[in-house]
Amino acid sequence: MKNELKLPFYLAFQSLRRGRKWTLFFTVLLMAVAFINLIFVSALFNGIVEGSNQQIKDTLTGNVYMTPKQGTLYINEASKLLTEIRKVDGVQAASSSFQTPARIEKGTRSGRWPILAIKPDEFFDVINVSENMTHGEYLKNDDENGIILGRQIVGGEGVELNATSLRGVEVGDKVNVVFDGFEKEFIVRGIFYTNFIESDTRAFITEKALAKIMPIAANKATVVNIKSLNKNEEAVFDRVQGIDPSVDTFMWTEAAGLMKSVSSSFLSINVLMTLVAVIIAAVTTFIVIYVDIINRRRQIGILRAIGIRPYIIVLNYVILAAVYATLGVILGSLIFYFGLAPYFQAHPFKLPITDAVLNLKWTEYIARVEIVSWVAVISGLIPALIVTKTKMIDAILGR
Amino acid sequence: MKSKAAVSINKLVKEYESSGNVTRAINGVSLVISFGEFLMVTGRNGSGKSTLMHLMALLDDPTSGEIIINGQRASDLKEKEKFRLRLKELGYIFQEYALIQELTAIENVMLPAMMLTSHKNAKKKAEALLKKVNLENKMNRLPTQLSGGEQQRVAVARSLINDPKIIFADEPTANLDSFASKDVLEIFKKLNREDGITIVMVTHEPEELAYATRVINLRDGKLNEK
Repeated sequence: MKNELKLPFYLAFQSLRRGRKWTLFFTVLLMAVAFINLIFVSALFNGIVEGSNQQIKDTLTGNVYMTPKQGTLYINEASKLLTEIRKVDGVQAASSSFQTPARIEKGTRSGRWPILAIKPDEFFDVINVSENMTHGEYLKNDDENGIILGRQIVGGEGVELNATSLRGVEVGDKVNVVFDGFEKEFIVRGIFYTNFIESDTRAFITEKALAKIMPIAANKATVVNIKSLNKNEEAVFDRVQGIDPSVDTFMWTEAAGLMKSVSSSFLSINVLMTLVAVIIAAVTTFIVIYVDIINRRRQIGILRAIGIRPYIIVLNYVILAAVYATLGVILGSLIFYFGLAPYFQAHPFKLPITDAVLNLKWTEYIARVEIVSWVAVISGLIPALIVTKTKMIDAILGR
Repeated sequence: MKSKAAVSINKLVKEYESSGNVTRAINGVSLVISFGEFLMVTGRNGSGKSTLMHLMALLDDPTSGEIIINGQRASDLKEKEKFRLRLKELGYIFQEYALIQELTAIENVMLPAMMLTSHKNAKKKAEALLKKVNLENKMNRLPTQLSGGEQQRVAVARSLINDPKIIFADEPTANLDSFASKDVLEIFKKLNREDGITIVMVTHEPEELAYATRVINLRDGKLNEK
């Protein structure tokens, strides 16, 4: 029995060693393509979901944010609150802003967009607008006349919300900003494009500039944004909650809004696409192994005729299928991790919500390796069983 | 002389059905082959020679009748036992060599023995057998690197690896030239005369009949013993 069990491994090894190398190469390549097909869709959807989630954190809310308790308009003594927050373990940076609705006018065009008054150097550490300046420059702390505008406010060719925008503003232009009861002319210092529409429909001025127009806003905030490592965000959320009872504290997910349902739709599509990819992988593997086995039908008949038991022959093909799958997974992984992923890292998919890169979680990778392995084993098993169940003499004589 | 027959068949019938038409390839053949015989089966094309060989070697099942191999009734054997019988007691040589193309000569010969013994023992035995059929210098060649006669000698060596009592050979010289045919027949003669192996062989060639201890002729699936 011990000797018998070595035989399928021996036959599989010799078949791989001496079989046609091109056939082996194309079989492995086909398995690799089937595997890539299985992981690519998941990686892309993960990339879109992760990318848009990161966009919310980087350009809109930070990992955790605070707003005035319901029924109140402002967070008072914002600087004191920020000092306390920055002491909390896990907090990397925190900043406050005062948001007020305003109308921005340029020539005959105007529109209402949120304007946020910020301390540029503190805000810079939490929200990455400064890294997304496409024209001009970011605000300086003591700038009392400068404003930076999101691309969707500026407008222009190819801009998604061009119809409601100012339809073309350049750095150095003057825009008139009308607050509730106040009005001031600002010089456009820069234009930013975060590739996230909700962020790009905002404008920023300095706290100093707002204090001149609305002294009441001094040391007040409408929102406090906190940055932490993604892995620490829940712990940070728990820790900062008790600092000030006059504020409400939220995770960034609370601001995800539409993105939440978009993400959930992507996840559903991902499941569906994965199912389709599994079927494609199963059919591909089955055909490859079935054709291989049918071509060796006579050889299988001869093996049976000289006394090799069918289970050994079946096991031989299951081992071959497992080897094809393993080599396919290795080749597919190499192509994915050293070809596709770096390529899309350098040339991301440009979407209106984010620049998506391929992002495959290890748990998903392992699950898909398991799927391909099982599919290969079953796809090897079924045709081998079919051929070993046919009449021996028919197999030998090719009837 | 052993009392048991090597092969005993009784009223053997094999029918094939195709498009509703029934063809009787073997029509009530009864035959006893004693241990130590070198039996040659002759007959025209379509006379049922190969079908009879397939049935006696348990490669195919009869429609009716009885086959007894070394005292074991084939119809009483389970599939696993038939494999065991083919492996240990019978050797089969096909007309077209039937070697595994991905294995070398020695690996082809070793294969059946690897079911029963270690790789090392199987190799040792295969080397001795290839020497016996004068292929000691071509042990590591693949079938495609051997001539037809050499391939058939590898097939003979493979059929001998588990020390069978009976060898069935279905037109083993059909694809060989006269020299290669003679080589193979001399080996069979030696195996039969010196080692006492029972040989049942199908042939078309009248000059080969001289090697046999008995000749039977099949015509239309029926037996004409000469």
